[in-house]
Amino acid sequence: MNPVVNIQFSGIRKRYRRRIILDDVDISLHAEQCLLLCGANGAGKTTLLKIMAGLLRPDHGTMNIGLGEMKWRRCKNVLQEKVMYLHQHPYMFDASVRKNIAYGLPRNTSPANRRKHVDEALQWAGLEDLASADATSLSGGEAQRVALARAWLRAPAVLLLDEPTANMDQESRLRTHALLRQLKDAGMAIVITSHDILQFQPFAEKLLKLEGGRLTHIGADKPDNVSAFPLQQAHHKQA
Amino acid sequence: MDSLNSATLDAMQLLVSGDSELWNIIGISFRVSTTALLIAVPPSLLIAFALAYGHFPGRRLLISAFSTLLSVPAVVVGLTLYLVLSRQGPLGDWKLLFTQSAMVMGQIALCVPILVAMGHSALQAADRRAWETARTLGAGLLRSVLTVMHEVRFGLLAALLAAYGRIIAEVGASMMLGGNILHYTRNIPTAIALETSKGEFSQGIALGIVLLLLAFALNGMLHYFQGKGRFAV
Repeated sequence: MNPVVNIQFSGIRKRYRRRIILDDVDISLHAEQCLLLCGANGAGKTTLLKIMAGLLRPDHGTMNIGLGEMKWRRCKNVLQEKVMYLHQHPYMFDASVRKNIAYGLPRNTSPANRRKHVDEALQWAGLEDLASADATSLSGGEAQRVALARAWLRAPAVLLLDEPTANMDQESRLRTHALLRQLKDAGMAIVITSHDILQFQPFAEKLLKLEGGRLTHIGADKPDNVSAFPLQQAHHKQA
Repeated sequence: MDSLNSATLDAMQLLVSGDSELWNIIGISFRVSTTALLIAVPPSLLIAFALAYGHFPGRRLLISAFSTLLSVPAVVVGLTLYLVLSRQGPLGDWKLLFTQSAMVMGQIALCVPILVAMGHSALQAADRRAWETARTLGAGLLRSVLTVMHEVRFGLLAALLAAYGRIIAEVGASMMLGGNILHYTRNIPTAIALETSKGEFSQGIALGIVLLLLAFALNGMLHYFQGKGRFAV
């Protein structure tokens, strides 16, 4: 697991032409903490995740990983090293499942170690039977599990998931939940965007809402007693 | 009709008999065009990638410029380079005119716009998630570029084949820059033009058959790879 686990983003601003998507957004990520990010379609959830993953340049913003504030130009490579972003529909390279999972391994990994690590990842995600399958022909749930297996193998400090269970059947959802819980227990900070707040209630410590470019914190932080967590209340408020 | 039949028969005999002059011309053609393509491909594909994925001022203008250069006649490219390489030209001291190097330069100038324009189209159509996934999985810049190129390899292969087809069959630039010197700069198209002007159709037809076979082979190759190319990572 990547040792750096506390990352703070401050004053993130992003606009597309004249439309303001993010306006002075501050967000902090901590190990073993899961943030649930909600908001209407087009609110800027994906934009925020891509900025946090170092894939999209903000108009303004700084990052702090304990070494002082850094501008995006300097922190881009750090973010790409420590943060991993999973698309709503994960992209599968035109190759086998095994090769897709192995992609994130360092280039200098020996073939024997590569095989060993990929075998472990396949087993972890329950994908042994699909190891040689064409990754581009997988179902949504299977592709998501391949994406999570890549994350497990790469072990980033922060994992960002964009609508990870959208359009999934119940069984695939439960499998994805189980894998996510294991990643969180392994020490990753996790950010999930979803419209279905109740679904992720068991994982999330904080619920954040993105509206009009501003990020607001809904309810109090999750206490030890899960049932006291005000997510359900927030969900009703939203509705 | 009879003369066409007999010329074609003579052409086939020339090909089969291994006529040294004919095969020398074919060899020069392939050597010059393959060299030009190999030199042109890496920078052209990188330019295409930068145009598809980069954000810099003048990007749209460059895309339009390369698309416009697609329609420049080979003879105009030949004339321009002739003026540059001739004794009074800025590169006259290099003494490259009427050499295979000059022909290679001309063919590079002809195939770069094709490679850039078609490569840009293929890369532009690629799924952006491929780039983002490669980057988020820790791939460096070069590996990410190569990964995206691999994802659109059939489009890029089509660009390569189109560029090769264009330069191996062009006559204007090769004639002006190479001078059509036997055993040195005479290639397939310039030989066809010369033999036809002399009324010697057999060699022209034989060389034409080679070009047709080449076109067939290139297209066959493209379709073969498109059908069998999965899992090539």
